[in-house]
Amino acid sequence: MDKVKQAMRSLLQPLLAIIVGLIVGAIAIAVVGGDIIETYKEMWKGAFGSTFFLTNTLSRATPIILIGLGVALAFRAGFFNMGSEGQMVLGALSAAVAALYIPGPAWMKLIAALIAAIISGGIWSALAGWLDAKFRMNLLITTLLLNYIAVLFAGYFVAYPLKDKTGSAAMAQTAMIDKSVWLPKLFSGMSLHAGFVLALVGMLLLFFYMKYTVRGFETRMLGANPLFASYGGVERGKLMLISMFVSGGFAGLAGAVEVLGTQYRYIEGSLTTPGYAWSGIMATLLAGSHPIGTAAAAILIAALQTGGMGMERNTEVPLEVSEIIQAALILFVSARFTYTFIKRRKKARG
Amino acid sequence: MLLQMNQITKSYGEVTANKEVDFTLRKGEVHALVGENGAGKTTLMRILYGMETPTSGEIVLDGQTVSFANPTDAIAHKIGMVHQHFMLFPSFTVAENIVIGREPAKGIVFNRKEAAAITNGLVKQYGMAVDPALKVGECSLGVQQRVEILKVLYQGAEIIILDEPTGVLTPLEVKELLEAIKGLTAQGKSFILISHKLEEIMEVADRITVLRDGKVTGTVHTADTNVEELSRMMVGRELIQIERSAYVAGKPVIEVSGVSIKGSKTKPLLEQISLNVHEGEIVGIAGISGNGQSELLQALSGLMKPDSGEIKLMGKPIQKAAVREIRKLGLAHIPEDRYQWGVAKDATVMENGLMGHSHKQQKYGLLKGASIREMVSGWVKRFEIKTGSLSTKSQYLSGGNLQKLIVARELAQETPFLIAAEPTRGVDVGAMEIIHGELLKRRDDRGAILLVSSELTEILKLSDRILVMFEGRIVGELAAGEATEEKISLLMAGGKAVG
Repeated sequence: MDKVKQAMRSLLQPLLAIIVGLIVGAIAIAVVGGDIIETYKEMWKGAFGSTFFLTNTLSRATPIILIGLGVALAFRAGFFNMGSEGQMVLGALSAAVAALYIPGPAWMKLIAALIAAIISGGIWSALAGWLDAKFRMNLLITTLLLNYIAVLFAGYFVAYPLKDKTGSAAMAQTAMIDKSVWLPKLFSGMSLHAGFVLALVGMLLLFFYMKYTVRGFETRMLGANPLFASYGGVERGKLMLISMFVSGGFAGLAGAVEVLGTQYRYIEGSLTTPGYAWSGIMATLLAGSHPIGTAAAAILIAALQTGGMGMERNTEVPLEVSEIIQAALILFVSARFTYTFIKRRKKARG
Repeated sequence: MLLQMNQITKSYGEVTANKEVDFTLRKGEVHALVGENGAGKTTLMRILYGMETPTSGEIVLDGQTVSFANPTDAIAHKIGMVHQHFMLFPSFTVAENIVIGREPAKGIVFNRKEAAAITNGLVKQYGMAVDPALKVGECSLGVQQRVEILKVLYQGAEIIILDEPTGVLTPLEVKELLEAIKGLTAQGKSFILISHKLEEIMEVADRITVLRDGKVTGTVHTADTNVEELSRMMVGRELIQIERSAYVAGKPVIEVSGVSIKGSKTKPLLEQISLNVHEGEIVGIAGISGNGQSELLQALSGLMKPDSGEIKLMGKPIQKAAVREIRKLGLAHIPEDRYQWGVAKDATVMENGLMGHSHKQQKYGLLKGASIREMVSGWVKRFEIKTGSLSTKSQYLSGGNLQKLIVARELAQETPFLIAAEPTRGVDVGAMEIIHGELLKRRDDRGAILLVSSELTEILKLSDRILVMFEGRIVGELAAGEATEEKISLLMAGGKAVG
């Protein structure tokens, strides 16, 4: 009975947040002269309206989930890994290069591409961890700055040595990866690919790791009180490198599944423009770094984005308004105006 | 009657923290509130200070029924509280900390001179010396406490609640604080004093109210009672006198020779420390806190590396070893600051209990859930730790119960060597009895214990040998038989041993 009550309580906050967020959105829609009900209807349709739109939303959520999981692990260990963007881009580039140039059968290429992405993203992230452990460089700053290096580095590669010269378009991108190496689609004719399954598996593995393994326990304690952890014999340096590597590995994998499941090549800007990395970090923050919560929040954010696109297609309301709604929703979900707060207010008045 | 709290009841779900508690305070009186951890003292004071609303009951102040929604309300009604953990900004000056919240201003600019003048005025009025220009972080804990009290007085408090005010003070500072309290009551201020230290209460309080399990077991005049009676009222039974076996030291367990640590300032943190602890003995280290005890313990447990010297545990050098290796070799450690080193507040009771045991409670890297649960719930039973459940976050445990959890966790390591730093700080009589009993039992079972405590009574009660630290050095050694409080105090203050 108590458990049900508790679950209801923890649900009340996000629900309330969504309602308030929608009200703010409604005001924005009214200001630009849109029909509120119609607009929200289109938004819903764009996100979940049909199997096509639903799978589209899930496919957009895939890299966001993976990045969110990686960030969640680092956050739980007490490290602010803001470098997901760079780690993802390097992962994507490595996956594309591996898929294009590693010899062997297609399945081997695919696996090699995924592993290459995890390793390159992981090393890039662990580098920042090493700089912190060795030279006491602030992790927040190094991870942020390493983003620029990674993104520009990848940009250079696809603009010069790896540039696709076969097609007519002079775009900064690698050659197209052979169809046999693509991640399989889950439903024919839909955009959702096997990367989504990988993301869900990753979510379960991370949940399990954090909750039931010695390492996971130590990681959480390190994040909760670093002095307590060092007092208890937790090896901070080692655990930090591992956590940062896995965290970056998740981001690298996010880049790989985008390349192998959606784009089929590394295209300059294709991962940074949609802001997957920042959406992923947001999902983590919303969910308080809980793995399953992070995945759920990632899907919510993706739905807001695909919904916004649907709204723009079918109504007069511009995309910017949908972004306002998104921002308002996220803002209110992140606010911790909890049940207790409401209760206290009631009492103070009564 | 200045203040009356009538029939206060406070329940959290099924837990009742206060049950029909009556409490009164006269003008110019010191009324002490005592009881074991979790007896409901702090809850009662939080209600008075507006941090909690009572489930039922009323507060009458100066004949008027009042209700406080928050501490600001309470302060407006001239009630002030000094918390157990000081709430000061270490990087701000004494004067800035005192005027905070009601700063004197010149236009929109903060008036520093005026703040200093206000502070000096308070110092003169109440006879509590502080230097307004000093940064709080550079002040001793005793001075910080004075700053807290002056802050409350500046806010206009007539009733001052002191929560465990002497827990972190040196004997001399305690004396000064008690004097200050007496001085302020002579000026008409009234005090509510929460404390575990019955001797101090006997010295300063006019009346004493004892709480047990959320209920009042009695309110007595200090003149009509004694420490034994109070203990009985708190615990609800007679305290057991602890027996100990004869002192027979065995072979050395930890050997420290010539350990030094340079400080960032000119004075070294540790200078040529040499000491041994043998099987079957408790070695007590006395000293005013901040004289190198923390650094010594950190060096022993691997949290700080000495610049020179050698430390051997069970015959193996450990001065360069990692914490985990040292623990594996045979060290357990009750840390001096439980919130800083001893627990993670957001983690559960079970998780906090698991620290240091995780490598034994596992198979293929997976935690053995059932076995861990059994281990921790065993401690909860044996040490009578009051907690909602094993998955309660440790921040919801009272200080004493948290301390019992830490002590249980470290004793359960069953290591040949145990560091016990301030093992009973902020702990009530009943818990102290349990912890002291367990430490002595470990000694009788041929364990080696290094006890560091700022409580001389604790050092004298438990130790077989006593070392005194002053400014990073060991300045004296006394056998249990020859040690007296006077001799130790003299050494602690840097004086030479006499006789």
